[in-house]
Amino acid sequence: MDEEYDAIVLGTGLKECILSGMLSVSGKKVLHVDRNKYYGGESASICPLDELFSKFGAPPPDESYGRGRDWNVDLIPKFLMANGQLVKLLIHTGVTRYLEFKSVEGSYVYKGGKISKVPVDQKEALASDLMGMFEKRRFRNFLVYVQDYAEQDPRSWKEFDAQNQTMQELYEKFGLDKNTQDFTGHALALYRDDDYLQTAAITTIRRIKLYSDSLARYGKSPYLYPMYGLGELPQGFARLSAIYGGTYMLDKPIDEIVLGEGGRVVGVRSGNEVAKCKQVYCDPSYVPEKVHKKGRVVRCICLLDHPIPNTRDALSTQIIIPQKQLCRNSDIYISVVSFTHQVAAKGWFVAMVSTAVETDEPEMEIRPALDLLGPIKQKFVSVSDYFVPTDNGLESQIFISESFDATTHFETTCLDVLDIFKRGTGEEFDFSKIKHELGEEEQ
Amino acid sequence: MATIKIPEQKVILCGEYGVGKSSLFRRFTNNTFVTATDRQSTLGLDHFDKTYNVGDKSLKLQLWDTGGMERIASITSSYYKFAEAAIIVFSLDNSASFHSLSQHLLDVVTYAESAKIFLCGNKSDLEGEKPQVTDADIETFCEQCHNLISGVYKTSCKLADGIEEMFTDIACHLAESNRSRLELQTMKHHGFKVLPADEQTAEGSCLC
Repeated sequence: MDEEYDAIVLGTGLKECILSGMLSVSGKKVLHVDRNKYYGGESASICPLDELFSKFGAPPPDESYGRGRDWNVDLIPKFLMANGQLVKLLIHTGVTRYLEFKSVEGSYVYKGGKISKVPVDQKEALASDLMGMFEKRRFRNFLVYVQDYAEQDPRSWKEFDAQNQTMQELYEKFGLDKNTQDFTGHALALYRDDDYLQTAAITTIRRIKLYSDSLARYGKSPYLYPMYGLGELPQGFARLSAIYGGTYMLDKPIDEIVLGEGGRVVGVRSGNEVAKCKQVYCDPSYVPEKVHKKGRVVRCICLLDHPIPNTRDALSTQIIIPQKQLCRNSDIYISVVSFTHQVAAKGWFVAMVSTAVETDEPEMEIRPALDLLGPIKQKFVSVSDYFVPTDNGLESQIFISESFDATTHFETTCLDVLDIFKRGTGEEFDFSKIKHELGEEEQ
Repeated sequence: MATIKIPEQKVILCGEYGVGKSSLFRRFTNNTFVTATDRQSTLGLDHFDKTYNVGDKSLKLQLWDTGGMERIASITSSYYKFAEAAIIVFSLDNSASFHSLSQHLLDVVTYAESAKIFLCGNKSDLEGEKPQVTDADIETFCEQCHNLISGVYKTSCKLADGIEEMFTDIACHLAESNRSRLELQTMKHHGFKVLPADEQTAEGSCLC
């Protein structure tokens, strides 16, 4: 450990592993340390099942749960948008060759106590039970407009200035009612609140396009999920970092981040060893004094021995409950994966309910979502704080990632990572750097 | 254009740091050998495909190297996923690397349940008059493992001795076990690889 590095990365959560991989690939000498003896931190998938039960202080699972080793349960549920940032990162870094994926089978939205398939093309719009007959036509026109919208071609804008006019104005142009706006903004554009209504429409148009382009890629839904759980993702990026020269240390407690002149980081201390470095990248848990709490996220892991009712027995699915449906300020998300992804024993399903906490009784808040799941065999509730760094790290050269939010996809995760990389290195990540070299060996 | 895709068989290298896993990997990829550990030259390269002909069939061995992760930390469990075979390497001039075989064996059976396991004693050129690890030691170990080991080889990366023979033999083993398995198993349990959009359409989404 007593060496000098360009960067020391603390924690092997997904964000830190992506950063570590990007830094190593860019030619930096990287030391990557975790206090746990496993990879992944918060983004690990828990295996075997006994460990999950004991983590939450429950008595060990009985034999009906099958073999414990067949379970890999995520602590933070998320899906990958098939055309999103993380998939781009995976492809460009070549990490995709360590992984296999399955398409998530369905995407649903909650309205008036029941769930409906999210309509995304014209045909589905007209067949959807979410809207009345006239509203369907208006929604269809809206979808056609968004699909045909080309940022470079003013003719496709149809006299609407999406750069300067708001989303609210675009909805009004098409005469969409509140209900339609609600599922468009929350289930297609995947916004967590309604602030987007007052911002430029172009962002929302891009998000809806991302949803439909992702959907077009593999069919059933815009989401992908890796075999053996999300814990495979940080491991893949850690491996990338290692093959580009990164050094890994697990089970290594960090006692101090050593600061030098002007509060700039000079090293990291563990016991009486000090590793010197020019920069530190870490998750909030390593620097409690440099982050503040921005909110809380409640997550509930539910183990089920049946698919979710009314999802046509889908083996994987996402359900979004838009805020307004329950008179809340943030959406509730449900993601379901199962034995088909090697994350549960045969016949079992793992449903995860998550949302931003708004009251003193987070469990009561997610009640309506739990009611959609049918009988639940086992339930584990956790409430975690959502931390953000107090500064941008430029002065101290300590770059801190934000905690994982309640969204069910990785888009915000990747934006945070790319932003940290830019702050840390002063440049955008150059994807071409690696693709070239890896191309050679792959014939 | 219709091309027949030769199935890739993932083969992983396991074993203590310094027993010659990367040397085996280097012999496999471009048949060279370096004495000093010049990690720089292998940066960014962690797996390599090579086609073997077994009888009238072709089989692609895809050999994976650890990337040096085992030096201080442990190897990620995802390294083992989807492996069809594991070569556990030890050094014939280092009895400690032999005694830790059982730990590596345990890792393989835990994380890569269906993988066939092979044992490779490397650095046979350094064996000398009084070997650190005798044939009897190896035999006893295999007996204790209740036939978990599908084959035992001795190699020297320095002299390029026994290496081609080992990989050819492993290819035969895999071809044999595939014959029965592929006929029985359908592909529906597998996922797919995510590829750039252009490749996706060219090859279809299923690459398993």
